[in-house]
Amino acid sequence: MAETALNDTRAPLGITELRAGNWRLALLVAVIVMTVSIIALPGEISFWVSLAAVLFVGLSIVINAWGNSPGPLLVAPALALLVVMNIFPLMWSFGLSFFKFRVNRLAPPKFTGLSNYEKILTDPTVWDRLQTTAIVVVLTVTTQMVVGFLLALLFEREFPLRRVLLMLVLTPMMLSFVAVGAFFRFYYEPTFGLLSQAVRVFTGEVFILQATPAGAMAGIVIADAWMWSPFVMLLVVAGLVSVPKYLYEAAEIDRASWWRKFRTITFPYIRSLLLLALLFRTIEAFKLFDIVFLITDGGPGTSTETIAVYVYRLGFQAFRTSQASALSYILLFVVIVLTNLYLYFARQRDAQV
Amino acid sequence: MRHLSISVQLLGTAAVIAVLGVASAPVLAQEEVTLRIAVPDWPPTRIMKQLADEFYVAPSGKKVTLEPDFIPWPNFQDRLSASLTSGEQRYNMAVSDSQWLGQFVEGGYYKKLNDIIDADPELQAIFADLNPNLVDAYSTYPYKSDNFYGFPQMPDVLISYYRSDIFCDEGEAAAFEGEYGYALPCTPEDFGNSDWEMMRDFGEFFQRSAGEMLAGEELTDDFFGIAYQAGKGYDFSTMQINGFLWQNGAGIWDETNQPNAQTLGVVNSPDAVTAFEKYLSLLEYMPPVVKTGGMDIFKIDELFREGKVGWIMQWIGFAESAITPDISRVADTVAFARAPGTRKADGSLDRTANIGGQPFVLTTWNDEETEREAIDFVKWWLSKETQIRFAQAGGQSGLQSVYTSPEYGTYRPWNDAFGPSLDWQRDVWHVPEFMELLTQQQEEFDKAITGQVTAKEALDAIAVFQDELLRESDRIQ
Repeated sequence: MAETALNDTRAPLGITELRAGNWRLALLVAVIVMTVSIIALPGEISFWVSLAAVLFVGLSIVINAWGNSPGPLLVAPALALLVVMNIFPLMWSFGLSFFKFRVNRLAPPKFTGLSNYEKILTDPTVWDRLQTTAIVVVLTVTTQMVVGFLLALLFEREFPLRRVLLMLVLTPMMLSFVAVGAFFRFYYEPTFGLLSQAVRVFTGEVFILQATPAGAMAGIVIADAWMWSPFVMLLVVAGLVSVPKYLYEAAEIDRASWWRKFRTITFPYIRSLLLLALLFRTIEAFKLFDIVFLITDGGPGTSTETIAVYVYRLGFQAFRTSQASALSYILLFVVIVLTNLYLYFARQRDAQV
Repeated sequence: MRHLSISVQLLGTAAVIAVLGVASAPVLAQEEVTLRIAVPDWPPTRIMKQLADEFYVAPSGKKVTLEPDFIPWPNFQDRLSASLTSGEQRYNMAVSDSQWLGQFVEGGYYKKLNDIIDADPELQAIFADLNPNLVDAYSTYPYKSDNFYGFPQMPDVLISYYRSDIFCDEGEAAAFEGEYGYALPCTPEDFGNSDWEMMRDFGEFFQRSAGEMLAGEELTDDFFGIAYQAGKGYDFSTMQINGFLWQNGAGIWDETNQPNAQTLGVVNSPDAVTAFEKYLSLLEYMPPVVKTGGMDIFKIDELFREGKVGWIMQWIGFAESAITPDISRVADTVAFARAPGTRKADGSLDRTANIGGQPFVLTTWNDEETEREAIDFVKWWLSKETQIRFAQAGGQSGLQSVYTSPEYGTYRPWNDAFGPSLDWQRDVWHVPEFMELLTQQQEEFDKAITGQVTAKEALDAIAVFQDELLRESDRIQ
């Protein structure tokens, strides 16, 4: 097989050269060896043969780069780690999404084409969870934008203890999800919880926030907004302080109203940052798992079960591995679309500045 | 190239010599074997480690060390399945919930023990001495078949924990009798003869608001008569509801009768609806957290130790914490009795309940030596001597020769409630679809518990889902 490569005169320059650093030849040999071993040898042996072939190509690339381009060599370990820890599992699970496979069964994966995707997209449960997710996204992002914006207007001005208060307001953002989840769980608890005790002072009755689907949803939204409104505030404050002071001074001279100043001076400066905050928080809220899992576990019933919690249940409780992979890729696609929107707006902001 | 290949050859030869040299070196020190085991982090496994370190001497003469990974309960299933399915082959043994047998046997992770038991008279003697309900629940897959996969590590059952200070208070007793026409039970014998109608009365009678009096003292906080499992997580309502179903003549999908057993008309039969309604009707007498789907075994434990509830139905595994003064306000007033049941026409009680507790299992990748040591360890654990030590330290034994002995009741205050309960135990499904069946059922139960649907609607939804799932996996035809 190597001979074919050697005689192939149309190959890129130097591919026929039998040198340790000729990575193109090494790659060609590796692909052929891997294909043959996967077809001809049992899985356990072909796995190791393939691994050896990959290492062989890697070694060849390193030898090639050693003399002439040491720069890329410096980032090579990071790239290798990325491939091993991220890219490879990602491709692997993508492959799995076209098979029928459960990680807790002995049966080997069976190719089923797009049937997992079909199953997922026609499953009413998935659509129900997506609806719940959409409600969570709309409510929590709106709350965060409003609260974050108001906080930013407050912290834009100079006042005593501003720096200390700013630091305190930013704290929730720094906490771990688990800490926030556990905290709010206790906070909402009807017997011992602070919220119930506080309401009781006025009503004389315990307050059970999570007894209804709407209450449970409110609980999640409040917790998530408490954690992430400061993030919106941070971005908006950055926008507000970048507005040149002379514009306001000029507007003062023209005796422009507060609303007019805001609409024509402030808003254009912070618009793109607001959009960034909006998109960033939308992407994050779309993936919301931790807080839901900890505070309501998706309940009451399934009324607050987001799509991320459902993927977890599908993958790690029902062990429908390949179906969970397919659903994850559908979600990844949605997130990629959102991310591209984000990048688009980020570029617009750059162009403006 | 030639130089390279010569040097590689030389290197290879050197390596082979080195390996052979090490392997043939005379063994001078005592041979060491480590048994790595995944266990949930709670007293029964902590006690096991302690006893193993202190007393276990391997019959082979080797130095055998038990090395448990103590994993918190809420993460236990995730962590164990992650380890098993990843192929890391980390554990030689595991303490596994009985319901997971199916999925991990089908995955090829748990070792079938029939050949080992057949070849070992000592193990056969142990199995003959074990309560048969425990063998079915902890060892068999499919449930109640002759395929054995596990040995009991800690048998557990649901029992009554109650506050003797309020149930034995004379003033309360007189008021109760005046209102309901029968005496408030005080001793464990009397309390253990309670039925669900009486539990309703206790719930109603002892529900008091802050400022009211309870057993001669003014309450600073609301007080509730009763509490049992009604949580959305894991199996924190199913374990209680199953008891109600069985006691009322209803059932769950019968995996021992595949593929003929049905779910439609069984899971949602009229008896099942009545049983589930009965279960739901008692919730109004429980602390308000029950309305959120948060009444799991940990919450019940917390509420009881904080002195907010008069009676709970709880696993024996939690009893030790209820009598520990550092963490329990009711340590000196708690008493234990057999769980309530459903009164039959002849006046006797049906006490059928869902079993708790866990078996040991062996993983499939152990070499012969490790496997022998693991079996020897299990035999030591299930020996009468060790089982008595375990029970004295706060564990439970499934050996009939141990738990029926008169001394057994003296080891711990709840032990008298344990032995007689064993004969009433049944288990939930062992099939690989267990988690899927459970999760959906828990969600539907939770909808009914939180008042979103009726008992019938919940059971109908469960029956339909189970029918689809089990047909898909050829378990119903």
